[in-house]
Amino acid sequence: MTDPIEFNEEEFTTQFNGRTFMRILAQAKPHWRTVVAFLIAIALVSFLDSYFTFLSKRMIDEGIVARNQAALLRIATQYGALILLQSGAVFGFIYAAGVLGERVQYDVRKKLFNHLQDLSFAYFDRTPIGWIMSRLTSDVERLGWLVSWGLLDMVWGLANILSAIYFMTIINWRMALIVFMALPILLMVAVQFKKRILVQFRLVRKLNSKITGSYNENITGVRVVKALGREPQNLNEFIDLSDDRYQAGYRAAMLSALFLPVVQLISALAIGSIVVAGGLQARYGGITVGGIQAFISYVTFMMWPIQDIARVYAETQHAIASGERVFSLMDAVPEVHDRPQAASVDSIRGDIIFEHVDFYYEENKPVLQDFSLHVREGETIALVGPTGGGKSTIINLLCRFYEPCKGVIRIAGRDYTQLSLHSIHSRLGIVLQSPHLFSGTIRENIRYGRLDASDADVEAAARLTGAHEFIIHLQHGYDEEVGEGGVLLSVGQKQLVSLARAVLADPDIFIMDEATSSVDTITEALIQQGMERMMRDRTSFVVAHRLSTIKRADRIIVIEDGRIKEMGSHAELIRQKGHYYRLYTRQFRRERTQTLDLLGETTAAPV
Amino acid sequence: MTISSDVATFDLKQALAPNRLQGLWKMMTGFRLIYVMATLSLGIAAISKTATYLLLRYFIDKVLGTNAPLSKLILVGLGFVGLALLESGFTFLSGWLAAKTAEGTALRMRNYLYDHIQRLSFSYHDKIQTGELIQRATSDVEAVRRFFADQAIGLGRIVVLFIVNFIAIAKLNWSLAWRSVLVVPVLVIISYFFFGKVSKRYQAYQEQEARLSTTLQENLSGVRVVKAFARQDFERQKFEEDNWEKFLRGRHLLFMHSLYWPSSDILAGAQMLGGFVLGAIMAIRGEITVGTYMAYSGMVIWIIWPMRNLGRLIVQMSTGLVSYNRVAEIVKEEREALDVGDYQPQGPYRGEIVFDHVSFAYEEGQPVLDDISFHCLPGQSVALLGSTGSGKTSLVNLLPRFYDYTAGSITLDGVELKRYPRQYLRSQIGIVEQEPFLFSRTIRENIAYGVGRRISDEEVFAAARAAAIHDVILSFPDGYNTLVGERGVTLSGGQKQRIAIARALLRDPRILILDDATSSVDPETEGDIRAALRRLMAGRTTFIIAHRIQSVMNADQILVMDKGRIIQRGDHASLMAEAGPYRRIYEMQARIEEELADELESSVD
Repeated sequence: MTDPIEFNEEEFTTQFNGRTFMRILAQAKPHWRTVVAFLIAIALVSFLDSYFTFLSKRMIDEGIVARNQAALLRIATQYGALILLQSGAVFGFIYAAGVLGERVQYDVRKKLFNHLQDLSFAYFDRTPIGWIMSRLTSDVERLGWLVSWGLLDMVWGLANILSAIYFMTIINWRMALIVFMALPILLMVAVQFKKRILVQFRLVRKLNSKITGSYNENITGVRVVKALGREPQNLNEFIDLSDDRYQAGYRAAMLSALFLPVVQLISALAIGSIVVAGGLQARYGGITVGGIQAFISYVTFMMWPIQDIARVYAETQHAIASGERVFSLMDAVPEVHDRPQAASVDSIRGDIIFEHVDFYYEENKPVLQDFSLHVREGETIALVGPTGGGKSTIINLLCRFYEPCKGVIRIAGRDYTQLSLHSIHSRLGIVLQSPHLFSGTIRENIRYGRLDASDADVEAAARLTGAHEFIIHLQHGYDEEVGEGGVLLSVGQKQLVSLARAVLADPDIFIMDEATSSVDTITEALIQQGMERMMRDRTSFVVAHRLSTIKRADRIIVIEDGRIKEMGSHAELIRQKGHYYRLYTRQFRRERTQTLDLLGETTAAPV
Repeated sequence: MTISSDVATFDLKQALAPNRLQGLWKMMTGFRLIYVMATLSLGIAAISKTATYLLLRYFIDKVLGTNAPLSKLILVGLGFVGLALLESGFTFLSGWLAAKTAEGTALRMRNYLYDHIQRLSFSYHDKIQTGELIQRATSDVEAVRRFFADQAIGLGRIVVLFIVNFIAIAKLNWSLAWRSVLVVPVLVIISYFFFGKVSKRYQAYQEQEARLSTTLQENLSGVRVVKAFARQDFERQKFEEDNWEKFLRGRHLLFMHSLYWPSSDILAGAQMLGGFVLGAIMAIRGEITVGTYMAYSGMVIWIIWPMRNLGRLIVQMSTGLVSYNRVAEIVKEEREALDVGDYQPQGPYRGEIVFDHVSFAYEEGQPVLDDISFHCLPGQSVALLGSTGSGKTSLVNLLPRFYDYTAGSITLDGVELKRYPRQYLRSQIGIVEQEPFLFSRTIRENIAYGVGRRISDEEVFAAARAAAIHDVILSFPDGYNTLVGERGVTLSGGQKQRIAIARALLRDPRILILDDATSSVDPETEGDIRAALRRLMAGRTTFIIAHRIQSVMNADQILVMDKGRIIQRGDHASLMAEAGPYRRIYEMQARIEEELADELESSVD
């Protein structure tokens, strides 16, 4: 299978993609005032950090060395006032940048989610949910980081270095030259380190998820493992994996542990040179005591902005890779979309006609070929046949989740691509094989069928489908939570709820994909009863497995290999003694065996 | 870097201790010395740093402005470089040794837990949730790793820096020293409370993130429903609410940060400035030298600023302690002994099995099997017929000693089953289930899984052919190298079953258990599977679990079970000859055929 999209999580661009970078920055455009505000705040904070060192120098030179307490106190007062100012700026930049980061995340997530709602089925078929989830979580986070903290750290680092350079030049430009020489070396070393550290950390993350997967499989399959006595080999395989993880973690830690000391050492060489040069300069009065102190401070603390700049530089590359993935999702075009002059209609009642429809999910692998079918209004059609024969595809086309590759589908006399998607979808009622419920209460789930329905309407729909009975026996009745995906309900109960949901929608076309798994007899009867109500006076399509459902249909269509093999009423098809006949007899035996509950009656006395 | 084998195989059970800190200390067995050295290195690094400031003092007071020769200047300059070398060397050393400890203990924990979990009893796995176990083996181990790698060592760093620099300042001038740390207790307390609060808000933020993920996940997996009801706008609204709430909580969290950092800035800044002014005045009065002042102003930074992070470390360390507990709870559980047993037979067993008044209960007072007795000769087939919950599966689970019977006796080739080592028993029992569990590996690996010897491709192909799955496998894009599961092909129940049959053929067991393997497969392949099963059963003692007469008719012995007891026994012919449940079931199935005939007739009329 070849995927059009690369689903590799760890893939990232090594070269700097300027267009993507600009596009990421553009996400902050609506909030540019905040950006300007925090950039000014951080530049101020950064400048003050350098200025404080300069003030310390003046305290030494003008206060201590000059033995002038008044001057000392004057400078200290200034110092104190600036600390207050700086704190204000710190408050400002943390809050502004942080909120901006969150806000951009919020914006991008919203855009992505809204766009996702418009994408077609084809997109969801070829894109794993996990992939989409990562785009909306970790990737969006990285974008938010780049436009806030990333930008901020970069500006802080640059402003810090620039202002330090400025003050050093003022104090003694000759000695400043020594620092200038060390700077590019420091930066280069730091960037190389950070890049490598980041690569190791990514490797660690990747191996961590492999380890989790390995645990997961061994625990879920523990019965097989034990039965086959595979414990020793499994452990050996795991040890290989966890050794890799150890090595990666170890390398990451080594590099991190090495990074600061190396930077420190380079700075120390600069400090040593400054001491020598300073000592020489001091003989001619070229530099004061405070000046030397200031130089040492500047060089000592220079490693922080450098490490920040290196980190931001390395991480920006990953943020850009994230950006590329996020934008690929944002730019995905829905295959099924409204045509320019699509008509909005209130009702899609009428005949449904498939005219020579061809369909494939992947080229050269036809699923439906020259499929034609005319369904009259109000008819009930049962679709039967083997898995993969094309039943679900017919339903997907009918619902216009996909459109025919060739041929036309007409609803109520019009090619359905001339109608708006909303007019079609809002008039459908669908019950899926494994019904999907949303976490929330039962009431909320039924109301999904018609959002403005009153509580009474909801209850009426539940009564009509027979769901009411089991609902009122739940502890909280209609307000019972169904859990994530409806896990707290049984399959049968979920079907009843989703049937009620469809009833509430009062659709023009009803579509049901029957569950293959068995549900208990009473629930089964209720479902049948509910279905019957739904099918009574609307055009209905049922992917049928139950005999009662099949027999109730006006027409039964046996689909195999994308074609209609047999079509007709139950009696007609039985008479043909073909596919349907075999299918029917087999299902008859199965259902009767189940309903008779053969072994449940074996209560005779023990032998 | 590798770890010596006795350190790697250290039994974590010995690291259990009622006191969590003590437990973590024991967890470090084999690395303790290294960790102590890491801490000592920290100390040396801190002392070197402080010495740098003392050298500065010397330089300012004794060298600068004294027209000292160039050589002396160079010597001092080299002194700075030398101290930096010392400092960075030991900083690296402490980071390296701490990483060695942290990664090493984590590696050992991961390996130990992996093996431990797969050796815990069935009863344990019955009651524990998979997600919970995984969480403990991954996130909690990671938390313990961070405890060693960052938190404990980070705390040590702050403390060491404080002590060394405080002593140095105190040596220079005591009254300056104590006045320089006035604010420290306040800073520590504030940071502790702040990070406690922040971690709560952070939790709330993460909870919302989880909620948002759920909403997203449900939307994506329910995309059919959303589209079918044209509920896109409703979904957008729902997501918007969760998304906005996350934004609000993020802002809430940030507000705390934006309050704490500037206010601790002011506190720490005021303390520093106060110290500077005090020191400067003392210097002006000549109580201390200029050099002393400069050394002081450098050192005091290392006393005050790191303190702002102390609270964070303490709060984070408490999560490491909780994680230790969660890991320890798994370690405490007893393993199932695989190779313990006083009977060590040579070669394979024959497969004669005798159940003598056997009873079994998962929980006391609730017998699942009650007084089961039967005798099965080598190579015979025994069918267990009964409804769900009648005890069929529980009965066969006793054979590989997945569970041990609670009363009576089971003998295999005349020897009590409990005397056999589990590993030996299991190596000669093959199980084919209705829907077998396959691993996300290639099909070839799945077939060869657990066979326990090197297997040639020819053998694998032969087994797959005998299991009637060879052609199916070849139709996949990568043939035998096709991955099973999410990243590869999805196999139908019948296909999985035939892979399990191929595996069983390769393993060539003496005893075979077919757990409901003959019912409810795709009708198209039912015949193939039956044929494959027949080949598999030939010459082996076989237990067949079923709930349909057709599946059990040919067995040498049929046991009809109900509520944990055998209610009827015999072969098909003898059971048909007597009035009882077996015949009733058979007749009912016959009645279905009559009904079907009637039904078909009436349809055609």
